[in-house]
Amino acid sequence: MTAATTRTRWFSLRRRLLVWLLGGVTVGWLAAVGFAYVETRHEIMELLEKWERHEQLEKRVSKELTDHLLKTMLTPLLFGVPLFGAWIWFATWRGLRPLDEVAAELGKRAPERLDPVVPAAAPREIRPLLEALNALFGRVGQTLDNERRFTADAAHELRTPLAAITAQAQVAARARDAAERDHALAQLTTSARRAGHLVEQLLTLARLDPAAELPMSELRLDTLAAEVYADHGAAALEKNVALELAAPTPVTVSGNAAMLRVLLRNLVDNAVRYTPVGGKVGVGVTALHGEVLLTVSDSGPGIPAAQRANALRRLHRLAGQDIEGSGLGLSIVARIAELHRAPRSGRRDRPTGAERTG
Amino acid sequence: MRIPLAEDDPQLGDGLMVGLRQDGYAVDWVKDGIAADLALKSESFDLLVLDLGLPRLAGMEVLARLRGRGQNLPVLILTARDATGDKIAGLDSGADDYVVKPIDLDELAARVRALARRAAGRAAPLLQHGDLMLDPAARQVTRAGVPVELSGREFALLQVLLENRGRVMTRTQLEGSLYGWRDEPDSNALEVHVHHLRKKLGAELIKTLRGVGYLVAK
Repeated sequence: MTAATTRTRWFSLRRRLLVWLLGGVTVGWLAAVGFAYVETRHEIMELLEKWERHEQLEKRVSKELTDHLLKTMLTPLLFGVPLFGAWIWFATWRGLRPLDEVAAELGKRAPERLDPVVPAAAPREIRPLLEALNALFGRVGQTLDNERRFTADAAHELRTPLAAITAQAQVAARARDAAERDHALAQLTTSARRAGHLVEQLLTLARLDPAAELPMSELRLDTLAAEVYADHGAAALEKNVALELAAPTPVTVSGNAAMLRVLLRNLVDNAVRYTPVGGKVGVGVTALHGEVLLTVSDSGPGIPAAQRANALRRLHRLAGQDIEGSGLGLSIVARIAELHRAPRSGRRDRPTGAERTG
Repeated sequence: MRIPLAEDDPQLGDGLMVGLRQDGYAVDWVKDGIAADLALKSESFDLLVLDLGLPRLAGMEVLARLRGRGQNLPVLILTARDATGDKIAGLDSGADDYVVKPIDLDELAARVRALARRAAGRAAPLLQHGDLMLDPAARQVTRAGVPVELSGREFALLQVLLENRGRVMTRTQLEGSLYGWRDEPDSNALEVHVHHLRKKLGAELIKTLRGVGYLVAK
């Protein structure tokens, strides 16, 4: 039975109507016949009582009359049932034809057509169904639009590093001296690395999008932060940026370890990237009144208030930056925080701070 | 020929700049719209290579301001935007060519040559003067059918002079079209190039107007 509950039970509305209507008509007819039979028989009996002298005749007439009565009342039923059946079949077929029209309209739809279904005529009974369907179309359309825009943006965004790769490769091939060739090859490597990074970030986002439900487990956020911290130590050192971890006590949260690692990596990577040489990047994990606060702060310039909303947008890079980035990091962070139902804030004094309550 | 290149991507900008320099153009690379607008306002250039997605000031705005000032140098839009609407808007706003990234450097150079040719009022790809023939695409000069070896700067200088036959080109104009911001021409570099050209192509070709500049007579 459990299988049956998950599957649609299909039935023909028309056959149901036919059975019920025809059954009702037959029962009604029989009841009417029965009533008429009893009534007339009663009348005949009364009449015959006055006809006392001929007992023989009385019995014969009575039998003949009732037989005849039954015959005349039941015979039409014999023809009536198929006739009524045919009529009801026709009537329900006519009556339910708008359903066919709606079905036909939906059936011949191209998969990319997601505008609301508005049949010329539709029975009121299916109105809630159509409304729900149109609402679903709307939502699917929105998602599809987002995806399409994202794909277009992503392809657009990949064009520039690819153009750089082409240009630098050609420059290297036509180089007039070794220094020029070496420079072009170094630039070529950087461009290829950037394109690779962009593709990786795009894949991360693509994997995140359909995952409305992430598998969550209890995990130690302070250990996770320490791991990410360790991964970035070399890059920070190379840039002469001081990386500080403040996770004094064990902090356990429920979350997806892989995704939280991506979130932390993006925040720390961002912070190290945008902090001037000699600056400071701090990662903090603290538990306070049952809430967990994860902060990533840096001594960099911060994101101007006016541009903060834009900074979280996909593929958006702040104007006038020489620093390479895919423009996807913060939107990945925003998405992961959202999936963990964590409020997120960025402040100028703590420009890339992310908070998570658990 | 002096070309400002407005492109914000560090690697692509570098690649295009070096690539166009290899083709003998003096390239000045600006990384945002405001810088591009300022450069175009204050100096004279021969052709603009413009990215549309520029920070601080959009490429289309740079183009609108350029045309608004009545400057009619050829503009080549080089962008990642490939929608037909964008192309139409770009060309209708006064661009002369619209190229979608990624682009082959050789193709870009060919388009730059074509635009420069048209801007100079020519349709024929070769520049001819007497028995002298200059092929901008092949970067080759022949005299009576015999190839003449020229350095990059000498070639560029000869091309400018031939393109402006009959007009006196001032020192500033010539230096402007030979050197970008990063190149520091020493005071008599131009004379040296002219001297070499005369040595290779005959003293009669380039006339000196003392204190003013040079000219190739019609």
